[in-house]
Amino acid sequence: MNKKLSVSDGFIRRNSVLSGLMVISPIIVCGNTIMNALALIYAFSAITFTSVAVGAFVPKKLPYGVRIIIYTCLGALSYIPVKAAAEEFFPGVIDRTGIYFMLIAVNSLITVQSETKFYRFTKGKMIISLIRHILGFDAVMLVISAIRELIAYGTFCGRVVDADIVISGLGLPFGGFIILGIACGIYRCIAPNSKDTDDFGGDSDVYNF
Amino acid sequence: MFIISELVALLTTNLILTQALGTSTLFIAAGSRKNLLWTAITISVFTTLGSFGACLVNGLLPDNFYDLRLLFYVLVIGIIYVILLTILYFADRKNFCTTRKYVHMSAFNCAVMGTLFTISDSSFGADMSMGSYIMAGAEAGTGFIFAAFVLTAAFKRLNSKDVPAAFRGFPATLVYLGIISMAIYALL
Repeated sequence: MNKKLSVSDGFIRRNSVLSGLMVISPIIVCGNTIMNALALIYAFSAITFTSVAVGAFVPKKLPYGVRIIIYTCLGALSYIPVKAAAEEFFPGVIDRTGIYFMLIAVNSLITVQSETKFYRFTKGKMIISLIRHILGFDAVMLVISAIRELIAYGTFCGRVVDADIVISGLGLPFGGFIILGIACGIYRCIAPNSKDTDDFGGDSDVYNF
Repeated sequence: MFIISELVALLTTNLILTQALGTSTLFIAAGSRKNLLWTAITISVFTTLGSFGACLVNGLLPDNFYDLRLLFYVLVIGIIYVILLTILYFADRKNFCTTRKYVHMSAFNCAVMGTLFTISDSSFGADMSMGSYIMAGAEAGTGFIFAAFVLTAAFKRLNSKDVPAAFRGFPATLVYLGIISMAIYALL
Protein backbone atom coordinates (compact mmCIF):
# COMPACT_ATOMS: atom_id res chain seq x y z
CA MET A 1 0.00 0.00 0.00
CA ASN A 2 1.27 3.43 -0.97
CA LYS A 3 4.60 1.98 -2.08
CA LYS A 4 4.46 4.03 -5.27
CA LEU A 5 3.32 7.24 -3.63
CA SER A 6 3.51 10.10 -6.11
CA VAL A 7 2.62 13.76 -6.09
CA SER A 8 0.51 13.13 -9.21
CA ASP A 9 -1.80 10.76 -7.31
CA GLY A 10 -5.29 11.74 -6.35
CA PHE A 11 -7.09 13.21 -9.34
CA ILE A 12 -7.22 10.38 -11.87
CA ARG A 13 -4.54 7.93 -10.75
CA ARG A 14 -5.38 6.57 -7.29
CA ASN A 15 -8.49 8.73 -7.00
CA SER A 16 -9.47 9.02 -3.32
CA VAL A 17 -13.07 7.97 -3.94
CA LEU A 18 -12.94 5.56 -6.87
CA SER A 19 -9.67 3.90 -5.93
CA GLY A 20 -9.44 4.27 -2.16
CA LEU A 21 -13.18 4.37 -1.35
CA MET A 22 -12.60 7.31 0.96
CA VAL A 23 -15.28 9.84 1.90
CA ILE A 24 -17.96 7.82 0.15
CA SER A 25 -20.79 8.24 2.68
CA PRO A 26 -21.66 11.83 1.64
CA ILE A 27 -21.57 10.81 -2.03
CA ILE A 28 -23.83 7.80 -1.48
CA VAL A 29 -26.41 9.57 0.68
CA CYS A 30 -26.29 13.26 -0.27
CA GLY A 31 -24.80 13.18 -3.76
CA ASN A 32 -28.19 13.02 -5.45
CA THR A 33 -28.53 16.62 -6.68
CA ILE A 34 -26.01 19.08 -8.08
CA MET A 35 -26.94 21.71 -5.48
CA ASN A 36 -26.15 19.29 -2.65
CA ALA A 37 -22.95 18.33 -4.44
CA LEU A 38 -21.78 21.93 -4.76
CA ALA A 39 -22.33 22.58 -1.07
CA LEU A 40 -20.48 19.41 -0.05
CA ILE A 41 -17.68 20.13 -2.52
CA TYR A 42 -17.29 23.58 -0.96
CA ALA A 43 -17.28 22.11 2.56
CA PHE A 44 -14.91 19.28 1.71
CA SER A 45 -12.47 21.52 -0.19
CA ALA A 46 -12.35 24.28 2.42
CA ILE A 47 -12.17 22.03 5.48
CA THR A 48 -9.74 19.48 4.07
CA PHE A 49 -7.36 22.05 2.61
CA THR A 50 -7.27 24.15 5.78
CA SER A 51 -6.95 21.21 8.16
CA VAL A 52 -4.28 19.31 6.23
CA ALA A 53 -2.26 22.47 5.48
CA VAL A 54 -2.28 23.58 9.12
CA GLY A 55 -1.76 20.01 10.32
CA ALA A 56 1.56 19.91 8.45
CA PHE A 57 3.01 22.09 11.22
CA VAL A 58 2.15 19.58 13.96
CA PRO A 59 5.46 18.27 15.37
CA LYS A 60 6.22 14.74 14.23
CA LYS A 61 7.85 14.03 17.58
CA LEU A 62 4.39 13.75 19.15
CA PRO A 63 3.00 10.21 19.44
CA TYR A 64 0.93 9.08 16.46
CA GLY A 65 -2.30 8.91 18.47
CA VAL A 66 -1.90 12.50 19.70
CA ARG A 67 -1.22 13.73 16.16
CA ILE A 68 -4.38 12.04 14.88
CA ILE A 69 -6.44 13.74 17.60
CA ILE A 70 -4.92 17.12 16.72
CA TYR A 71 -5.65 16.63 12.98
CA THR A 72 -9.26 15.73 13.76
CA CYS A 73 -9.63 18.72 16.09
CA LEU A 74 -8.32 20.96 13.29
CA GLY A 75 -11.03 19.56 11.01
CA ALA A 76 -13.68 20.20 13.67
CA LEU A 77 -12.46 23.77 14.17
CA SER A 78 -12.40 24.44 10.40
CA TYR A 79 -16.01 23.29 10.25
CA ILE A 80 -17.28 26.27 12.28
CA PRO A 81 -16.49 29.11 9.81
CA VAL A 82 -17.25 26.86 6.83
CA LYS A 83 -20.72 26.12 8.19
CA ALA A 84 -21.36 29.82 8.86
CA ALA A 85 -20.43 30.66 5.26
CA ALA A 86 -22.51 27.76 3.91
CA GLU A 87 -25.61 29.14 5.63
CA GLU A 88 -25.08 32.34 3.62
CA PHE A 89 -24.18 30.89 0.23
CA PHE A 90 -26.14 27.60 0.25
CA PRO A 91 -29.32 28.32 2.23
CA GLY A 92 -31.12 25.16 3.32
CA VAL A 93 -28.35 22.81 2.30
CA ILE A 94 -27.30 21.99 5.87
CA ASP A 95 -30.84 20.82 6.60
CA ARG A 96 -30.83 18.70 3.44
CA THR A 97 -27.43 17.13 3.99
CA GLY A 98 -27.91 16.65 7.75
CA ILE A 99 -25.05 15.04 9.62
CA TYR A 100 -23.04 14.49 6.43
CA PHE A 101 -22.09 18.16 6.29
CA MET A 102 -20.53 17.73 9.73
CA LEU A 103 -18.97 14.36 8.94
CA ILE A 104 -17.05 15.98 6.07
CA ALA A 105 -14.97 17.63 8.81
CA VAL A 106 -13.77 14.27 10.13
CA ASN A 107 -13.15 12.60 6.78
CA SER A 108 -10.36 10.05 6.55
CA LEU A 109 -8.17 12.28 4.34
CA ILE A 110 -7.83 14.60 7.35
CA THR A 111 -7.73 12.07 10.15
CA VAL A 112 -5.69 9.00 9.20
CA GLN A 113 -4.69 9.53 5.58
CA SER A 114 -2.93 12.87 5.96
CA GLU A 115 0.13 11.12 7.42
CA THR A 116 0.40 8.55 4.64
CA LYS A 117 -0.72 10.64 1.66
CA PHE A 118 0.55 14.17 2.30
CA TYR A 119 3.04 14.63 5.12
CA ARG A 120 5.64 12.42 3.46
CA PHE A 121 6.20 15.18 0.91
CA THR A 122 7.86 18.57 1.26
CA LYS A 123 5.40 21.41 1.93
CA GLY A 124 5.19 22.52 -1.72
CA LYS A 125 4.61 19.04 -3.10
CA MET A 126 2.18 18.34 -0.28
CA ILE A 127 0.00 21.29 -1.35
CA ILE A 128 0.01 20.06 -4.97
CA SER A 129 -0.89 16.53 -3.90
CA LEU A 130 -3.58 17.83 -1.53
CA ILE A 131 -5.18 19.94 -4.27
CA ARG A 132 -5.17 16.94 -6.64
CA HIS A 133 -6.88 14.74 -4.04
CA ILE A 134 -9.47 17.44 -3.31
CA LEU A 135 -10.16 17.93 -7.03
CA GLY A 136 -10.46 14.15 -7.40
CA PHE A 137 -13.22 14.05 -4.80
CA ASP A 138 -14.90 17.16 -6.23
CA ALA A 139 -15.00 15.73 -9.75
CA VAL A 140 -16.45 12.38 -8.65
CA MET A 141 -19.03 14.06 -6.41
CA LEU A 142 -20.13 16.39 -9.20
CA VAL A 143 -20.37 13.74 -11.93
CA ILE A 144 -22.19 11.19 -9.79
CA SER A 145 -24.60 13.82 -8.45
CA ALA A 146 -25.37 15.05 -11.96
CA ILE A 147 -26.06 11.50 -13.18
CA ARG A 148 -28.23 10.67 -10.17
CA GLU A 149 -30.20 13.92 -10.38
CA LEU A 150 -30.84 13.36 -14.06
CA ILE A 151 -31.95 9.75 -13.71
CA ALA A 152 -33.68 9.96 -10.33
CA TYR A 153 -35.53 13.26 -10.63
CA GLY A 154 -35.35 14.15 -14.34
CA THR A 155 -33.74 17.49 -13.51
CA PHE A 156 -30.37 19.15 -14.01
CA CYS A 157 -29.37 21.84 -11.52
CA GLY A 158 -33.00 21.86 -10.43
CA ARG A 159 -34.33 22.52 -13.95
CA VAL A 160 -36.64 19.95 -15.50
CA VAL A 161 -35.17 18.26 -18.56
CA ASP A 162 -36.81 16.05 -21.15
CA ALA A 163 -36.01 12.68 -19.54
CA ASP A 164 -38.00 9.72 -20.84
CA ILE A 165 -37.28 7.46 -17.89
CA VAL A 166 -37.07 8.51 -14.26
CA ILE A 167 -35.91 5.99 -11.64
CA SER A 168 -36.57 7.75 -8.37
CA GLY A 169 -34.88 5.01 -6.30
CA LEU A 170 -31.48 6.10 -7.56
CA GLY A 171 -31.85 9.23 -5.46
CA LEU A 172 -31.90 7.08 -2.32
CA PRO A 173 -28.81 5.67 -0.57
CA PHE A 174 -29.10 2.25 -2.25
CA GLY A 175 -29.03 4.04 -5.60
CA GLY A 176 -25.85 5.78 -4.43
CA PHE A 177 -24.22 2.43 -3.62
CA ILE A 178 -25.10 1.01 -7.03
CA ILE A 179 -24.11 4.07 -9.08
CA LEU A 180 -20.83 4.43 -7.17
CA GLY A 181 -20.09 0.72 -7.66
CA ILE A 182 -20.66 1.03 -11.40
CA ALA A 183 -18.54 4.22 -11.50
CA CYS A 184 -15.69 2.36 -9.72
CA GLY A 185 -15.86 -0.41 -12.33
CA ILE A 186 -15.81 2.05 -15.23
CA TYR A 187 -12.92 3.93 -13.61
CA ARG A 188 -10.91 0.72 -13.42
CA CYS A 189 -11.53 0.10 -17.10
CA ILE A 190 -10.50 3.52 -18.35
CA ALA A 191 -8.12 5.09 -15.82
CA PRO A 192 -4.38 4.69 -16.28
CA ASN A 193 -2.71 2.45 -13.66
CA SER A 194 -6.10 1.88 -12.13
CA LYS A 195 -5.04 -1.56 -10.96
CA ASP A 196 -2.53 0.16 -8.70
CA THR A 197 -5.19 0.70 -6.07
CA ASP A 198 -5.31 0.39 -2.33
CA ASP A 199 -5.88 -3.17 -1.15
CA PHE A 200 -8.68 -2.18 1.15
CA GLY A 201 -10.87 0.82 1.79
CA GLY A 202 -9.59 4.25 2.60
CA ASP A 203 -8.82 3.71 6.25
CA SER A 204 -6.63 0.69 5.60
CA ASP A 205 -3.41 2.66 5.40
CA VAL A 206 -3.31 2.86 9.17
CA TYR A 207 -2.14 -0.73 9.05
CA ASN A 208 1.25 0.71 8.16
CA PHE A 209 1.60 2.02 11.68
CA MET B 1 -41.92 -13.16 16.99
CA PHE B 2 -39.79 -11.10 19.36
CA ILE B 3 -36.58 -12.26 17.66
CA ILE B 4 -37.98 -11.48 14.21
CA SER B 5 -39.12 -8.01 15.22
CA GLU B 6 -35.75 -7.32 16.84
CA LEU B 7 -33.97 -8.52 13.69
CA VAL B 8 -36.12 -6.25 11.52
CA ALA B 9 -35.39 -3.35 13.88
CA LEU B 10 -31.68 -4.09 13.68
CA LEU B 11 -31.86 -4.07 9.90
CA THR B 12 -33.94 -0.92 9.52
CA THR B 13 -31.81 1.09 11.95
CA ASN B 14 -28.54 -0.22 10.54
CA LEU B 15 -26.29 2.80 9.99
CA ILE B 16 -24.22 1.15 7.28
CA LEU B 17 -26.99 -0.26 5.14
CA THR B 18 -29.37 2.69 5.47
CA GLN B 19 -26.97 5.63 5.89
CA ALA B 20 -23.69 4.31 4.41
CA LEU B 21 -21.78 5.26 7.57
CA GLY B 22 -18.45 3.47 8.01
CA THR B 23 -18.56 1.69 4.67
CA SER B 24 -14.82 1.77 3.95
CA THR B 25 -14.08 0.50 7.46
CA LEU B 26 -16.54 -2.30 6.75
CA PHE B 27 -14.54 -3.33 3.69
CA ILE B 28 -11.46 -3.82 5.83
CA ALA B 29 -13.41 -5.66 8.50
CA ALA B 30 -14.88 -8.10 6.01
CA GLY B 31 -11.48 -8.90 4.52
CA SER B 32 -10.77 -11.60 7.09
CA ARG B 33 -12.59 -13.08 10.05
CA LYS B 34 -9.91 -11.83 12.43
CA ASN B 35 -10.19 -8.26 11.18
CA LEU B 36 -13.97 -8.54 11.25
CA LEU B 37 -14.10 -9.64 14.86
CA TRP B 38 -11.65 -7.12 16.28
CA THR B 39 -12.80 -4.16 14.20
CA ALA B 40 -16.43 -4.82 15.07
CA ILE B 41 -15.62 -5.14 18.78
CA THR B 42 -13.49 -1.99 18.78
CA ILE B 43 -16.10 0.04 16.91
CA SER B 44 -18.78 -1.20 19.29
CA VAL B 45 -16.65 -0.05 22.24
CA PHE B 46 -16.21 3.37 20.62
CA THR B 47 -19.90 3.80 19.77
CA THR B 48 -21.03 2.65 23.24
CA LEU B 49 -18.57 4.71 25.29
CA GLY B 50 -18.78 7.57 22.79
CA SER B 51 -22.56 7.70 23.26
CA PHE B 52 -22.00 8.09 26.99
CA GLY B 53 -19.68 11.01 26.27
CA ALA B 54 -22.10 12.49 23.72
CA CYS B 55 -24.86 12.43 26.33
CA LEU B 56 -22.62 14.39 28.72
CA VAL B 57 -21.67 16.90 26.01
CA ASN B 58 -25.31 17.42 24.96
CA GLY B 59 -26.31 17.95 28.57
CA LEU B 60 -23.53 20.36 29.46
CA LEU B 61 -23.09 22.36 26.23
CA PRO B 62 -25.31 25.48 26.05
CA ASP B 63 -27.54 25.77 22.97
CA ASN B 64 -25.70 28.84 21.64
CA PHE B 65 -22.49 26.75 21.39
CA TYR B 66 -24.18 24.18 19.18
CA ASP B 67 -21.48 24.41 16.47
CA LEU B 68 -18.82 23.37 18.97
CA ARG B 69 -20.55 20.03 19.45
CA LEU B 70 -18.43 18.39 16.74
CA LEU B 71 -15.22 19.54 18.45
CA PHE B 72 -16.37 18.19 21.81
CA TYR B 73 -17.38 14.86 20.27
CA VAL B 74 -13.92 14.62 18.73
CA LEU B 75 -12.39 15.30 22.13
CA VAL B 76 -14.60 12.62 23.72
CA ILE B 77 -13.54 10.06 21.13
CA GLY B 78 -9.94 11.26 21.53
CA ILE B 79 -10.04 10.56 25.28
CA ILE B 80 -11.51 7.07 24.71
CA TYR B 81 -8.87 6.50 22.02
CA VAL B 82 -5.99 7.31 24.38
CA ILE B 83 -7.50 5.28 27.24
CA LEU B 84 -8.00 2.23 25.00
CA LEU B 85 -4.45 2.43 23.65
CA THR B 86 -3.11 2.74 27.20
CA ILE B 87 -5.14 -0.26 28.40
CA LEU B 88 -3.98 -2.35 25.44
CA TYR B 89 -0.37 -1.34 26.02
CA PHE B 90 -0.32 -2.33 29.66
CA ALA B 91 -2.57 -5.38 29.20
CA ASP B 92 -0.54 -7.06 26.47
CA ARG B 93 2.68 -5.34 25.41
CA LYS B 94 3.76 -8.22 23.19
CA ASN B 95 0.77 -7.92 20.88
CA PHE B 96 0.34 -4.15 21.17
CA CYS B 97 1.68 -3.52 17.66
CA THR B 98 -1.01 -5.82 16.28
CA THR B 99 -3.92 -4.72 18.43
CA ARG B 100 -3.35 -0.95 18.25
CA LYS B 101 -4.12 -0.87 14.51
CA TYR B 102 -7.74 -1.73 15.25
CA VAL B 103 -7.97 1.19 17.65
CA HIS B 104 -6.32 3.54 15.15
CA MET B 105 -8.73 2.38 12.45
CA SER B 106 -11.88 2.49 14.55
CA ALA B 107 -11.52 5.78 16.43
CA PHE B 108 -12.18 8.54 13.94
CA ASN B 109 -14.44 7.35 11.17
CA CYS B 110 -17.96 7.93 9.96
CA ALA B 111 -19.29 4.85 11.76
CA VAL B 112 -18.41 6.22 15.19
CA MET B 113 -18.93 9.96 14.63
CA GLY B 114 -22.08 9.33 12.58
CA THR B 115 -23.50 7.22 15.39
CA LEU B 116 -23.00 10.01 17.92
CA PHE B 117 -24.71 12.56 15.67
CA THR B 118 -27.53 10.20 14.69
CA ILE B 119 -28.31 9.39 18.32
CA SER B 120 -28.13 13.06 19.32
CA ASP B 121 -30.19 14.30 16.38
CA SER B 122 -32.88 11.66 16.63
CA SER B 123 -36.30 13.06 17.31
CA PHE B 124 -36.33 11.67 20.81
CA GLY B 125 -32.73 12.74 21.45
CA ALA B 126 -33.62 15.53 23.83
CA ASP B 127 -35.60 13.23 26.12
CA MET B 128 -33.17 10.32 26.11
CA SER B 129 -31.55 9.20 29.34
CA MET B 130 -27.92 8.22 29.75
CA GLY B 131 -28.91 4.55 29.57
CA SER B 132 -30.78 5.12 26.31
CA TYR B 133 -27.76 6.81 24.77
CA ILE B 134 -25.46 3.93 25.74
CA MET B 135 -28.01 1.38 24.51
CA ALA B 136 -28.33 3.19 21.17
CA GLY B 137 -24.54 3.25 20.84
CA ALA B 138 -24.32 -0.47 21.57
CA GLU B 139 -27.08 -1.18 19.01
CA ALA B 140 -25.15 0.78 16.38
CA GLY B 141 -22.08 -1.33 17.10
CA THR B 142 -24.16 -4.50 16.82
CA GLY B 143 -25.50 -3.22 13.51
CA PHE B 144 -21.95 -2.83 12.29
CA ILE B 145 -21.17 -6.43 13.24
CA PHE B 146 -24.31 -7.57 11.44
CA ALA B 147 -23.49 -5.65 8.25
CA ALA B 148 -19.93 -6.99 8.35
CA PHE B 149 -21.24 -10.57 8.53
CA VAL B 150 -23.59 -9.88 5.61
CA LEU B 151 -20.62 -8.68 3.60
CA THR B 152 -18.35 -11.52 4.70
CA ALA B 153 -20.89 -14.04 3.45
CA ALA B 154 -20.40 -12.87 -0.12
CA PHE B 155 -16.86 -11.51 0.09
CA LYS B 156 -15.13 -14.49 -1.54
CA ARG B 157 -17.59 -14.68 -4.41
CA LEU B 158 -17.41 -10.94 -5.06
CA ASN B 159 -13.62 -11.27 -5.27
CA SER B 160 -13.61 -14.46 -7.32
CA LYS B 161 -12.47 -14.80 -10.93
CA ASP B 162 -16.10 -15.27 -11.98
CA VAL B 163 -16.57 -11.53 -11.59
CA PRO B 164 -15.17 -9.41 -14.47
CA ALA B 165 -11.78 -7.96 -13.50
CA ALA B 166 -12.92 -4.33 -13.57
CA PHE B 167 -15.78 -5.02 -11.18
CA ARG B 168 -14.01 -7.52 -8.95
CA GLY B 169 -13.69 -6.44 -5.32
CA PHE B 170 -14.85 -2.93 -4.37
CA PRO B 171 -17.19 -2.20 -7.30
CA ALA B 172 -19.04 -5.52 -7.01
CA THR B 173 -19.19 -5.15 -3.23
CA LEU B 174 -20.69 -1.68 -3.51
CA VAL B 175 -23.37 -2.95 -5.89
CA TYR B 176 -24.00 -5.89 -3.52
CA LEU B 177 -24.41 -3.52 -0.57
CA GLY B 178 -26.75 -1.43 -2.72
CA ILE B 179 -28.97 -4.44 -3.36
CA ILE B 180 -29.01 -5.38 0.35
CA SER B 181 -29.76 -1.75 1.19
CA MET B 182 -32.61 -1.75 -1.36
CA ALA B 183 -34.11 -4.82 0.30
CA ILE B 184 -33.95 -3.07 3.67
CA TYR B 185 -35.67 0.01 2.26
CA ALA B 186 -38.55 -2.24 1.33
CA LEU B 187 -38.98 -2.98 5.06
CA LEU B 188 -39.09 0.70 6.02
